[in-house]
Amino acid sequence: MTAAALSSPLRLRSKPYLVPAGRIALGIAIVALWQIGTGVMGRDFLPSPWDTLARIGSLARSGELFRDAAITFGEAAAGMLLGGAAGAILPFLLRLSPRLMRALDPLISAGFGLPKLALAPLFILWFGIGITTKVVFVASIVFFLMFYNGLAGVLSVDPRLIATFRVAGAGEWVINREIVWNTAKPFLFSGLKIALPRALSGAVVGEFIAADQGLGWYIEHARSLNDTTGVLAGAVIVTVLVMAVNAGLRRVQARSLAWRPLAADMTL
Amino acid sequence: MTSALPMLQVRRLAKRFPPRAGAESPWILADLSFHVCEREFLTMVGPSGAGKSTLLNIIAQVDGASDGEILFRGEAIGSANGRTLNPGWDCQIGYVTQDDNLLPWRTLIDNVTLPLKLQGRYDEAAKKRVVELFCATNLTGFERYYPHELSGGMRKRGSLIRTLAYDPPIILMDEPFSAVDAQTRTQLQQDLLRLWNLGRKTIVFVTHDIAEAIALGDRVLVLSKSPAKVIADHRIDISRPRDLGNVYKLEGFGDIFERVRRDIQ
Repeated sequence: MTAAALSSPLRLRSKPYLVPAGRIALGIAIVALWQIGTGVMGRDFLPSPWDTLARIGSLARSGELFRDAAITFGEAAAGMLLGGAAGAILPFLLRLSPRLMRALDPLISAGFGLPKLALAPLFILWFGIGITTKVVFVASIVFFLMFYNGLAGVLSVDPRLIATFRVAGAGEWVINREIVWNTAKPFLFSGLKIALPRALSGAVVGEFIAADQGLGWYIEHARSLNDTTGVLAGAVIVTVLVMAVNAGLRRVQARSLAWRPLAADMTL
Repeated sequence: MTSALPMLQVRRLAKRFPPRAGAESPWILADLSFHVCEREFLTMVGPSGAGKSTLLNIIAQVDGASDGEILFRGEAIGSANGRTLNPGWDCQIGYVTQDDNLLPWRTLIDNVTLPLKLQGRYDEAAKKRVVELFCATNLTGFERYYPHELSGGMRKRGSLIRTLAYDPPIILMDEPFSAVDAQTRTQLQQDLLRLWNLGRKTIVFVTHDIAEAIALGDRVLVLSKSPAKVIADHRIDISRPRDLGNVYKLEGFGDIFERVRRDIQ
Protein backbone atom coordinates (compact mmCIF):
# COMPACT_ATOMS: atom_id res chain seq x y z
CA MET A 1 0.00 0.00 0.00
CA THR A 2 1.37 3.40 -0.88
CA ALA A 3 1.67 6.35 1.45
CA ALA A 4 -0.98 8.20 -0.51
CA ALA A 5 -3.46 5.34 -0.09
CA LEU A 6 -2.74 5.20 3.63
CA SER A 7 -3.30 8.89 4.10
CA SER A 8 -6.52 9.03 2.09
CA PRO A 9 -8.87 8.61 5.09
CA LEU A 10 -7.31 11.73 6.61
CA ARG A 11 -7.85 13.68 3.43
CA LEU A 12 -11.44 12.46 3.36
CA ARG A 13 -11.98 14.01 6.74
CA SER A 14 -10.21 17.28 6.01
CA LYS A 15 -12.43 18.07 2.99
CA PRO A 16 -15.81 16.60 3.85
CA TYR A 17 -17.61 18.34 0.97
CA LEU A 18 -15.61 16.50 -1.72
CA VAL A 19 -17.49 13.21 -1.46
CA PRO A 20 -21.05 14.62 -1.69
CA ALA A 21 -19.91 16.99 -4.45
CA GLY A 22 -18.51 14.04 -6.39
CA ARG A 23 -21.73 12.12 -5.93
CA ILE A 24 -23.81 15.03 -7.25
CA ALA A 25 -21.48 15.45 -10.22
CA LEU A 26 -21.78 11.74 -11.01
CA GLY A 27 -25.56 11.93 -10.72
CA ILE A 28 -25.68 14.85 -13.15
CA ALA A 29 -23.42 12.96 -15.57
CA ILE A 30 -25.71 9.92 -15.49
CA VAL A 31 -28.82 12.03 -16.14
CA ALA A 32 -26.99 13.81 -19.00
CA LEU A 33 -26.03 10.46 -20.57
CA TRP A 34 -29.61 9.31 -20.14
CA GLN A 35 -30.83 12.43 -21.93
CA ILE A 36 -28.37 11.84 -24.76
CA GLY A 37 -29.52 8.22 -24.96
CA THR A 38 -33.11 9.40 -25.28
CA GLY A 39 -32.07 11.65 -28.14
CA VAL A 40 -30.33 8.80 -29.94
CA MET A 41 -32.88 6.04 -29.33
CA GLY A 42 -36.09 8.04 -29.33
CA ARG A 43 -38.56 8.65 -26.52
CA ASP A 44 -40.49 5.43 -27.08
CA PHE A 45 -37.42 3.27 -26.52
CA LEU A 46 -35.85 5.34 -23.75
CA PRO A 47 -38.16 7.89 -22.12
CA SER A 48 -36.36 11.08 -21.13
CA PRO A 49 -35.38 11.82 -17.50
CA TRP A 50 -37.89 14.65 -17.45
CA ASP A 51 -40.80 12.47 -18.66
CA THR A 52 -39.87 9.84 -16.08
CA LEU A 53 -39.72 12.43 -13.30
CA ALA A 54 -43.07 13.87 -14.43
CA ARG A 55 -44.61 10.39 -14.26
CA ILE A 56 -43.22 9.85 -10.75
CA GLY A 57 -44.69 13.24 -9.81
CA SER A 58 -48.14 12.33 -11.08
CA LEU A 59 -47.97 8.94 -9.33
CA ALA A 60 -47.07 10.73 -6.12
CA ARG A 61 -49.94 13.20 -6.51
CA SER A 62 -52.47 10.43 -7.10
CA GLY A 63 -51.13 8.52 -4.07
CA GLU A 64 -50.45 5.39 -6.15
CA LEU A 65 -46.72 5.75 -5.57
CA PHE A 66 -47.03 5.60 -1.79
CA ARG A 67 -49.60 2.80 -1.84
CA ASP A 68 -47.55 0.60 -4.15
CA ALA A 69 -44.26 1.44 -2.47
CA ALA A 70 -45.72 0.65 0.94
CA ILE A 71 -46.95 -2.74 -0.29
CA THR A 72 -43.63 -3.67 -1.86
CA PHE A 73 -41.70 -2.37 1.14
CA GLY A 74 -43.98 -4.28 3.49
CA GLU A 75 -43.46 -7.54 1.60
CA ALA A 76 -39.70 -7.03 1.65
CA ALA A 77 -39.70 -6.15 5.34
CA ALA A 78 -41.86 -9.14 6.29
CA GLY A 79 -39.64 -11.42 4.20
CA MET A 80 -36.57 -10.02 5.95
CA LEU A 81 -38.13 -10.50 9.37
CA LEU A 82 -39.06 -14.07 8.54
CA GLY A 83 -36.17 -15.34 6.43
CA GLY A 84 -33.45 -12.84 7.38
CA ALA A 85 -33.92 -13.26 11.11
CA ALA A 86 -34.05 -17.05 10.83
CA GLY A 87 -30.92 -17.05 8.70
CA ALA A 88 -29.11 -14.77 11.15
CA ILE A 89 -30.07 -16.75 14.25
CA LEU A 90 -29.45 -20.26 12.92
CA PRO A 91 -25.62 -20.02 12.91
CA PHE A 92 -25.66 -19.10 16.62
CA LEU A 93 -27.62 -22.28 17.37
CA LEU A 94 -25.50 -24.43 15.08
CA ARG A 95 -22.36 -23.26 16.89
CA LEU A 96 -23.50 -25.29 19.88
CA SER A 97 -23.51 -28.47 17.81
CA PRO A 98 -20.72 -28.75 15.25
CA ARG A 99 -22.06 -32.17 14.30
CA LEU A 100 -25.46 -30.75 13.37
CA MET A 101 -23.69 -27.95 11.48
CA ARG A 102 -21.80 -30.47 9.37
CA ALA A 103 -24.94 -32.53 8.81
CA LEU A 104 -26.97 -29.52 7.65
CA ASP A 105 -24.25 -27.99 5.50
CA PRO A 106 -24.96 -29.81 2.18
CA LEU A 107 -28.69 -29.40 2.75
CA ILE A 108 -28.41 -25.65 3.16
CA SER A 109 -26.09 -25.19 0.20
CA ALA A 110 -28.55 -27.20 -1.90
CA GLY A 111 -31.30 -24.86 -0.74
CA PHE A 112 -29.15 -21.87 -1.64
CA GLY A 113 -28.53 -23.27 -5.11
CA LEU A 114 -32.20 -24.00 -5.73
CA PRO A 115 -33.53 -21.38 -8.20
CA LYS A 116 -36.33 -19.71 -6.23
CA LEU A 117 -37.84 -18.13 -9.33
CA ALA A 118 -38.39 -21.57 -10.81
CA LEU A 119 -40.44 -22.42 -7.74
CA ALA A 120 -42.67 -19.37 -8.15
CA PRO A 121 -45.55 -21.33 -9.74
CA LEU A 122 -45.52 -23.67 -6.75
CA PHE A 123 -45.46 -20.76 -4.31
CA ILE A 124 -48.52 -19.32 -6.06
CA LEU A 125 -50.23 -22.69 -5.86
CA TRP A 126 -49.49 -22.96 -2.14
CA PHE A 127 -49.91 -19.37 -0.99
CA GLY A 128 -52.15 -17.77 -3.61
CA ILE A 129 -51.39 -14.57 -5.46
CA GLY A 130 -51.62 -12.37 -2.37
CA ILE A 131 -48.88 -10.84 -0.26
CA THR A 132 -47.96 -14.14 1.44
CA THR A 133 -46.39 -15.53 -1.73
CA LYS A 134 -44.10 -12.53 -2.07
CA VAL A 135 -43.13 -12.65 1.59
CA VAL A 136 -42.21 -16.33 1.30
CA PHE A 137 -40.35 -15.66 -1.94
CA VAL A 138 -38.32 -12.85 -0.33
CA ALA A 139 -37.71 -14.93 2.80
CA SER A 140 -36.43 -17.85 0.72
CA ILE A 141 -33.84 -15.55 -0.88
CA VAL A 142 -32.60 -13.52 2.11
CA PHE A 143 -32.48 -16.49 4.48
CA PHE A 144 -29.38 -17.83 2.74
CA LEU A 145 -27.67 -14.46 2.42
CA MET A 146 -28.02 -13.82 6.14
CA PHE A 147 -27.21 -17.41 7.05
CA TYR A 148 -23.89 -17.56 5.20
CA ASN A 149 -22.74 -14.19 6.47
CA GLY A 150 -23.81 -15.02 10.01
CA LEU A 151 -22.06 -18.39 9.78
CA ALA A 152 -18.83 -16.75 8.63
CA GLY A 153 -19.11 -14.41 11.63
CA VAL A 154 -19.80 -17.16 14.14
CA LEU A 155 -16.93 -19.26 12.78
CA SER A 156 -14.49 -16.35 13.03
CA VAL A 157 -14.86 -16.10 16.81
CA ASP A 158 -11.48 -16.10 18.55
CA PRO A 159 -11.46 -19.22 20.76
CA ARG A 160 -8.88 -17.56 23.02
CA LEU A 161 -11.38 -14.84 23.94
CA ILE A 162 -13.90 -17.52 24.82
CA ALA A 163 -11.39 -19.46 26.94
CA THR A 164 -10.30 -16.28 28.74
CA PHE A 165 -13.84 -15.32 29.66
CA ARG A 166 -14.86 -18.86 30.60
CA VAL A 167 -12.02 -18.84 33.12
CA ALA A 168 -13.32 -15.51 34.43
CA GLY A 169 -16.77 -16.94 35.05
CA ALA A 170 -18.70 -16.51 31.79
CA GLY A 171 -21.34 -19.14 31.03
CA GLU A 172 -22.50 -20.27 27.60
CA TRP A 173 -25.19 -17.60 27.37
CA VAL A 174 -22.74 -14.77 28.17
CA ILE A 175 -20.21 -16.19 25.68
CA ASN A 176 -22.91 -16.12 23.01
CA ARG A 177 -24.24 -12.67 23.81
CA GLU A 178 -20.95 -10.94 24.51
CA ILE A 179 -18.32 -12.61 22.33
CA VAL A 180 -20.03 -14.49 19.51
CA TRP A 181 -22.65 -11.79 18.91
CA ASN A 182 -20.13 -8.93 18.85
CA THR A 183 -17.77 -10.87 16.60
CA ALA A 184 -20.55 -11.76 14.19
CA LYS A 185 -22.13 -8.29 14.09
CA PRO A 186 -19.94 -6.82 11.32
CA PHE A 187 -20.64 -9.96 9.26
CA LEU A 188 -24.37 -9.61 9.83
CA PHE A 189 -24.17 -6.01 8.64
CA SER A 190 -22.40 -7.20 5.48
CA GLY A 191 -25.24 -9.67 5.10
CA LEU A 192 -27.84 -6.94 5.50
CA LYS A 193 -26.02 -4.80 2.96
CA ILE A 194 -26.66 -7.51 0.36
CA ALA A 195 -29.93 -8.91 1.69
CA LEU A 196 -31.92 -5.68 2.07
CA PRO A 197 -31.68 -4.66 -1.63
CA ARG A 198 -32.27 -8.27 -2.59
CA ALA A 199 -35.38 -8.32 -0.41
CA LEU A 200 -36.80 -5.30 -2.23
CA SER A 201 -35.93 -6.60 -5.69
CA GLY A 202 -37.26 -10.02 -4.65
CA ALA A 203 -40.59 -8.47 -3.72
CA VAL A 204 -40.69 -6.61 -7.07
CA VAL A 205 -39.91 -9.79 -9.02
CA GLY A 206 -42.53 -11.64 -7.00
CA GLU A 207 -45.06 -9.01 -8.04
CA PHE A 208 -44.10 -9.42 -11.70
CA ILE A 209 -45.32 -12.99 -11.55
CA ALA A 210 -48.67 -12.50 -9.90
CA ALA A 211 -50.03 -9.44 -8.14
CA ASP A 212 -52.64 -6.73 -8.31
CA GLN A 213 -50.70 -4.07 -6.43
CA GLY A 214 -47.15 -3.05 -5.58
CA LEU A 215 -44.28 -1.47 -7.51
CA GLY A 216 -43.55 -4.72 -9.37
CA TRP A 217 -47.15 -4.95 -10.40
CA TYR A 218 -47.03 -1.33 -11.63
CA ILE A 219 -43.91 -2.00 -13.72
CA GLU A 220 -45.39 -5.20 -15.16
CA HIS A 221 -48.70 -3.48 -15.86
CA ALA A 222 -46.91 -0.60 -17.66
CA ARG A 223 -44.91 -3.14 -19.68
CA SER A 224 -48.10 -4.87 -20.84
CA LEU A 225 -49.33 -1.48 -22.09
CA ASN A 226 -46.02 -0.73 -23.85
CA ASP A 227 -45.75 2.21 -21.42
CA THR A 228 -41.95 2.50 -21.29
CA THR A 229 -42.14 5.67 -19.20
CA GLY A 230 -44.10 3.74 -16.57
CA VAL A 231 -41.54 0.91 -16.57
CA LEU A 232 -38.68 3.34 -16.09
CA ALA A 233 -40.54 5.37 -13.46
CA GLY A 234 -41.22 2.20 -11.48
CA ALA A 235 -37.59 1.13 -11.71
CA VAL A 236 -36.40 4.54 -10.54
CA ILE A 237 -38.77 4.42 -7.56
CA VAL A 238 -37.48 0.98 -6.57
CA THR A 239 -33.90 2.24 -6.86
CA VAL A 240 -34.63 5.25 -4.66
CA LEU A 241 -36.24 2.94 -2.11
CA VAL A 242 -33.13 0.73 -2.08
CA MET A 243 -30.92 3.79 -1.63
CA ALA A 244 -33.05 5.03 1.27
CA VAL A 245 -32.87 1.64 2.97
CA ASN A 246 -29.09 1.55 2.46
CA ALA A 247 -28.71 5.01 3.96
CA GLY A 248 -30.66 3.91 7.02
CA LEU A 249 -28.54 0.77 7.33
CA ARG A 250 -25.35 2.81 7.08
CA ARG A 251 -26.43 4.96 10.00
CA VAL A 252 -27.33 2.02 12.21
CA GLN A 253 -24.08 0.29 11.29
CA ALA A 254 -21.94 3.34 12.03
CA ARG A 255 -23.50 3.67 15.46
CA SER A 256 -23.40 -0.03 16.21
CA LEU A 257 -19.78 -0.60 15.15
CA ALA A 258 -18.40 2.67 16.48
CA TRP A 259 -15.73 0.77 18.44
CA ARG A 260 -13.94 -0.33 15.29
CA PRO A 261 -10.80 1.47 14.18
CA LEU A 262 -11.69 4.21 11.67
CA ALA A 263 -15.32 3.13 11.62
CA ALA A 264 -16.19 6.25 9.64
CA ASP A 265 -13.86 5.26 6.81
CA MET A 266 -14.73 1.58 6.83
CA THR A 267 -18.48 2.08 6.60
CA LEU A 268 -19.12 2.33 2.90
CA MET B 1 5.60 -30.80 60.79
CA THR B 2 2.19 -29.15 60.69
CA SER B 3 3.19 -27.24 57.59
CA ALA B 4 0.25 -25.69 55.75
CA LEU B 5 -1.26 -27.61 52.91
CA PRO B 6 0.12 -26.43 49.58
CA MET B 7 -2.39 -24.28 47.74
CA LEU B 8 -1.97 -26.18 44.51
CA GLN B 9 -0.53 -29.61 43.96
CA VAL B 10 0.11 -31.11 40.56
CA ARG B 11 0.74 -34.84 40.64
CA ARG B 12 2.17 -36.99 37.87
CA LEU B 13 0.44 -34.91 35.24
CA ALA B 14 0.61 -36.23 31.67
CA LYS B 15 -0.82 -34.92 28.48
CA ARG B 16 -0.92 -35.79 24.86
CA PHE B 17 -3.33 -34.60 22.25
CA PRO B 18 -5.68 -36.99 20.43
CA PRO B 19 -4.17 -39.07 17.61
CA ARG B 20 -3.83 -37.17 14.37
CA ALA B 21 -4.28 -38.83 10.96
CA GLY B 22 -4.21 -42.21 12.68
CA ALA B 23 -0.80 -41.67 14.28
CA GLU B 24 -0.38 -41.29 18.04
CA SER B 25 0.56 -37.77 19.13
CA PRO B 26 3.71 -37.37 21.23
CA TRP B 27 3.53 -36.75 24.97
CA ILE B 28 3.64 -33.02 25.78
CA LEU B 29 3.79 -33.47 29.54
CA ALA B 30 4.92 -36.62 31.29
CA ASP B 31 5.06 -37.36 35.01
CA LEU B 32 5.03 -33.67 35.88
CA SER B 33 4.69 -32.89 39.58
CA PHE B 34 5.08 -29.74 41.67
CA HIS B 35 3.31 -27.69 44.29
CA VAL B 36 2.77 -24.03 45.11
CA CYS B 37 2.28 -22.66 48.60
CA GLU B 38 -0.10 -19.92 49.63
CA ARG B 39 1.21 -16.44 48.76
CA GLU B 40 4.15 -17.87 46.90
CA PHE B 41 5.41 -16.40 43.62
CA LEU B 42 6.45 -19.48 41.69
CA THR B 43 8.13 -19.11 38.34
CA MET B 44 8.65 -21.89 35.83
CA VAL B 45 11.25 -21.66 33.14
CA GLY B 46 11.67 -23.98 30.23
CA PRO B 47 12.64 -23.99 26.58
CA SER B 48 10.17 -22.72 24.02
CA GLY B 49 7.74 -25.40 22.94
CA ALA B 50 8.21 -27.37 26.15
CA GLY B 51 4.49 -27.47 26.86
CA LYS B 52 4.34 -24.60 29.35
CA SER B 53 1.11 -23.19 27.92
CA THR B 54 -0.40 -26.66 27.81
CA LEU B 55 0.40 -27.09 31.48
CA LEU B 56 -1.29 -23.83 32.44
CA ASN B 57 -4.28 -24.60 30.21
CA ILE B 58 -4.74 -27.84 32.10
CA ILE B 59 -4.43 -26.20 35.51
CA ALA B 60 -6.91 -23.50 34.44
CA GLN B 61 -9.13 -26.33 33.12
CA VAL B 62 -9.33 -24.87 29.67
CA ASP B 63 -7.95 -28.24 28.56
CA GLY B 64 -8.07 -31.69 30.10
CA ALA B 65 -5.16 -33.86 31.26
CA SER B 66 -4.48 -37.35 29.92
CA ASP B 67 -3.27 -38.61 33.29
CA GLY B 68 -2.45 -37.42 36.78
CA GLU B 69 -4.31 -35.11 39.12
CA ILE B 70 -4.44 -31.53 40.35
CA LEU B 71 -5.37 -30.64 43.92
CA PHE B 72 -6.55 -27.16 44.84
CA ARG B 73 -6.41 -26.72 48.63
CA GLY B 74 -6.43 -30.49 48.91
CA GLU B 75 -9.45 -31.01 46.68
CA ALA B 76 -9.08 -32.75 43.33
CA ILE B 77 -10.11 -30.31 40.61
CA GLY B 78 -9.15 -31.94 37.39
CA SER B 79 -8.09 -35.45 36.61
CA ALA B 80 -7.79 -37.70 33.64
CA ASN B 81 -11.19 -39.26 34.21
CA GLY B 82 -12.95 -35.95 34.88
CA ARG B 83 -14.78 -35.50 31.60
CA THR B 84 -16.34 -32.12 32.19
CA LEU B 85 -14.03 -29.18 32.64
CA ASN B 86 -14.78 -26.23 34.86
CA PRO B 87 -12.61 -23.43 33.45
CA GLY B 88 -11.20 -21.27 36.22
CA TRP B 89 -12.64 -23.58 38.89
CA ASP B 90 -15.46 -21.21 39.79
CA CYS B 91 -13.27 -18.12 39.47
CA GLN B 92 -10.74 -19.52 41.97
CA ILE B 93 -7.99 -19.76 39.36
CA GLY B 94 -7.18 -16.63 37.36
CA TYR B 95 -5.32 -16.93 34.08
CA VAL B 96 -3.34 -14.18 32.35
CA THR B 97 -2.57 -15.51 28.90
CA GLN B 98 0.19 -14.70 26.46
CA ASP B 99 -2.15 -12.52 24.35
CA ASP B 100 -4.02 -9.80 26.17
CA ASN B 101 -7.37 -11.18 24.93
CA LEU B 102 -9.20 -7.94 25.62
CA LEU B 103 -12.56 -7.62 23.90
CA PRO B 104 -11.98 -5.17 21.03
CA TRP B 105 -15.56 -3.84 21.22
CA ARG B 106 -15.34 -2.95 24.92
CA THR B 107 -13.55 -0.03 26.48
CA LEU B 108 -10.72 -0.76 28.88
CA ILE B 109 -12.86 -0.16 31.96
CA ASP B 110 -15.61 -2.44 30.62
CA ASN B 111 -13.04 -5.14 29.87
CA VAL B 112 -11.60 -4.93 33.37
CA THR B 113 -14.96 -4.90 35.14
CA LEU B 114 -16.75 -7.47 32.97
CA PRO B 115 -15.61 -10.52 35.02
CA LEU B 116 -16.74 -8.76 38.21
CA LYS B 117 -20.13 -8.02 36.67
CA LEU B 118 -20.47 -11.60 35.40
CA GLN B 119 -19.74 -12.86 38.88
CA GLY B 120 -22.23 -10.38 40.37
CA ARG B 121 -19.50 -8.84 42.51
CA TYR B 122 -19.22 -5.32 41.09
CA ASP B 123 -19.98 -3.59 44.38
CA GLU B 124 -18.53 -0.45 45.97
CA ALA B 125 -15.46 -2.26 47.28
CA ALA B 126 -14.77 -3.73 43.85
CA LYS B 127 -15.20 -0.32 42.20
CA LYS B 128 -12.67 1.12 44.60
CA ARG B 129 -10.22 -1.70 43.91
CA VAL B 130 -10.55 -1.17 40.17
CA VAL B 131 -9.77 2.54 40.54
CA GLU B 132 -6.71 1.63 42.62
CA LEU B 133 -5.54 -0.89 40.05
CA PHE B 134 -5.89 1.62 37.21
CA CYS B 135 -3.88 4.07 39.27
CA ALA B 136 -1.19 1.53 40.24
CA THR B 137 -0.65 0.60 36.60
CA ASN B 138 -0.70 4.16 35.23
CA LEU B 139 -3.86 3.51 33.24
CA THR B 140 -5.93 6.25 34.88
CA GLY B 141 -7.36 8.45 32.14
CA PHE B 142 -7.55 5.62 29.62
CA GLU B 143 -10.67 3.96 31.05
CA ARG B 144 -12.84 4.90 28.05
CA TYR B 145 -10.29 3.89 25.39
CA TYR B 146 -10.81 0.88 23.19
CA PRO B 147 -7.99 -1.72 23.17
CA HIS B 148 -6.89 -0.83 19.63
CA GLU B 149 -6.29 2.74 20.80
CA LEU B 150 -3.82 1.59 23.48
CA SER B 151 -0.17 0.55 23.27
CA GLY B 152 0.86 -3.09 23.65
CA GLY B 153 2.17 -2.47 27.16
CA MET B 154 -1.06 -0.76 28.24
CA ARG B 155 -3.12 -3.63 26.89
CA LYS B 156 -0.93 -6.05 28.85
CA ARG B 157 -1.45 -4.07 32.03
CA GLY B 158 -5.17 -4.02 31.26
CA SER B 159 -5.32 -7.79 30.92
CA LEU B 160 -3.31 -8.12 34.14
CA ILE B 161 -5.63 -5.95 36.21
CA ARG B 162 -8.69 -7.57 34.66
CA THR B 163 -7.65 -10.73 36.49
CA LEU B 164 -6.40 -8.97 39.62
CA ALA B 165 -9.67 -7.00 39.87
CA TYR B 166 -11.78 -10.07 40.58
CA ASP B 167 -9.17 -11.30 42.98
CA PRO B 168 -8.88 -15.06 42.42
CA PRO B 169 -6.78 -16.78 45.13
CA ILE B 170 -4.31 -18.09 42.57
CA ILE B 171 -3.23 -16.57 39.27
CA LEU B 172 -1.54 -18.37 36.39
CA MET B 173 0.55 -16.25 34.03
CA ASP B 174 1.71 -17.51 30.67
CA GLU B 175 4.65 -15.41 29.46
CA PRO B 176 2.49 -12.31 29.83
CA PHE B 177 5.35 -9.95 28.97
CA SER B 178 6.90 -11.80 26.05
CA ALA B 179 5.43 -9.63 23.31
CA VAL B 180 6.62 -6.22 24.54
CA ASP B 181 9.93 -4.40 24.20
CA ALA B 182 12.64 -4.75 26.85
CA GLN B 183 12.01 -1.43 28.56
CA THR B 184 8.25 -1.85 28.78
CA ARG B 185 8.83 -5.34 30.01
CA THR B 186 10.98 -4.20 32.94
CA GLN B 187 8.30 -1.65 33.80
CA LEU B 188 5.57 -4.29 33.65
CA GLN B 189 7.60 -6.66 35.81
CA GLN B 190 8.11 -3.91 38.36
CA ASP B 191 4.35 -3.15 38.26
CA LEU B 192 3.55 -6.82 38.76
CA LEU B 193 5.86 -7.12 41.77
CA ARG B 194 4.35 -3.99 43.30
CA LEU B 195 0.81 -5.31 42.79
CA TRP B 196 1.84 -8.68 44.16
CA ASN B 197 3.31 -6.99 47.21
CA LEU B 198 0.03 -5.16 47.83
CA GLY B 199 -2.15 -8.28 47.72
CA ARG B 200 0.34 -11.17 48.05
CA LYS B 201 -1.50 -13.54 45.80
CA THR B 202 -0.32 -16.96 44.84
CA ILE B 203 1.19 -16.77 41.37
CA VAL B 204 2.42 -19.38 38.94
CA PHE B 205 4.39 -17.50 36.30
CA VAL B 206 5.68 -19.30 33.24
CA THR B 207 8.45 -17.89 31.03
CA HIS B 208 11.31 -18.93 28.80
CA ASP B 209 13.42 -16.05 30.09
CA ILE B 210 15.73 -17.21 32.90
CA ALA B 211 16.47 -13.69 34.14
CA GLU B 212 12.76 -12.90 34.38
CA ALA B 213 12.07 -16.14 36.26
CA ILE B 214 14.76 -15.36 38.83
CA ALA B 215 13.97 -11.66 39.13
CA LEU B 216 10.30 -12.25 39.92
CA GLY B 217 10.08 -15.54 41.76
CA ASP B 218 10.40 -16.92 45.24
CA ARG B 219 11.14 -20.25 43.66
CA VAL B 220 12.13 -21.22 40.12
CA LEU B 221 11.19 -24.58 38.66
CA VAL B 222 13.06 -25.73 35.58
CA LEU B 223 11.12 -27.72 33.00
CA SER B 224 12.76 -30.17 30.62
CA LYS B 225 12.28 -30.26 26.89
CA SER B 226 9.16 -31.96 25.64
CA PRO B 227 7.74 -34.07 27.20
CA ALA B 228 7.98 -31.58 30.03
CA LYS B 229 8.69 -32.51 33.60
CA VAL B 230 10.19 -30.61 36.51
CA ILE B 231 13.94 -31.22 36.57
CA ALA B 232 15.10 -28.67 39.14
CA ASP B 233 13.71 -26.53 41.94
CA HIS B 234 15.68 -23.46 43.03
CA ARG B 235 14.77 -21.26 45.98
CA ILE B 236 15.53 -17.59 45.23
CA ASP B 237 16.75 -15.84 48.33
CA ILE B 238 17.25 -12.41 46.77
CA SER B 239 15.67 -9.95 49.19
CA ARG B 240 12.58 -7.93 48.28
CA PRO B 241 11.79 -5.32 47.13
CA ARG B 242 13.98 -5.98 44.13
CA ASP B 243 15.20 -3.33 41.73
CA LEU B 244 14.44 -4.91 38.37
CA GLY B 245 16.27 -2.20 36.45
CA ASN B 246 19.47 -3.83 37.69
CA VAL B 247 18.64 -7.49 38.10
CA TYR B 248 22.13 -8.60 37.15
CA LYS B 249 23.57 -6.67 40.08
CA LEU B 250 21.20 -8.23 42.62
CA GLU B 251 23.03 -10.20 45.26
CA GLY B 252 23.28 -13.87 44.31
CA PHE B 253 21.70 -13.38 40.89
CA GLY B 254 24.65 -14.48 38.77
CA ASP B 255 25.10 -17.64 40.78
CA ILE B 256 21.49 -18.79 40.42
CA PHE B 257 21.40 -17.74 36.78
CA GLU B 258 24.36 -20.04 36.04
CA ARG B 259 22.76 -22.95 37.86
CA VAL B 260 19.42 -22.58 36.05
CA ARG B 261 21.15 -22.20 32.72
CA ARG B 262 23.07 -25.42 33.27
CA ASP B 263 19.83 -27.23 34.19
CA ILE B 264 18.20 -26.16 30.98
CA GLN B 265 21.05 -27.37 28.80
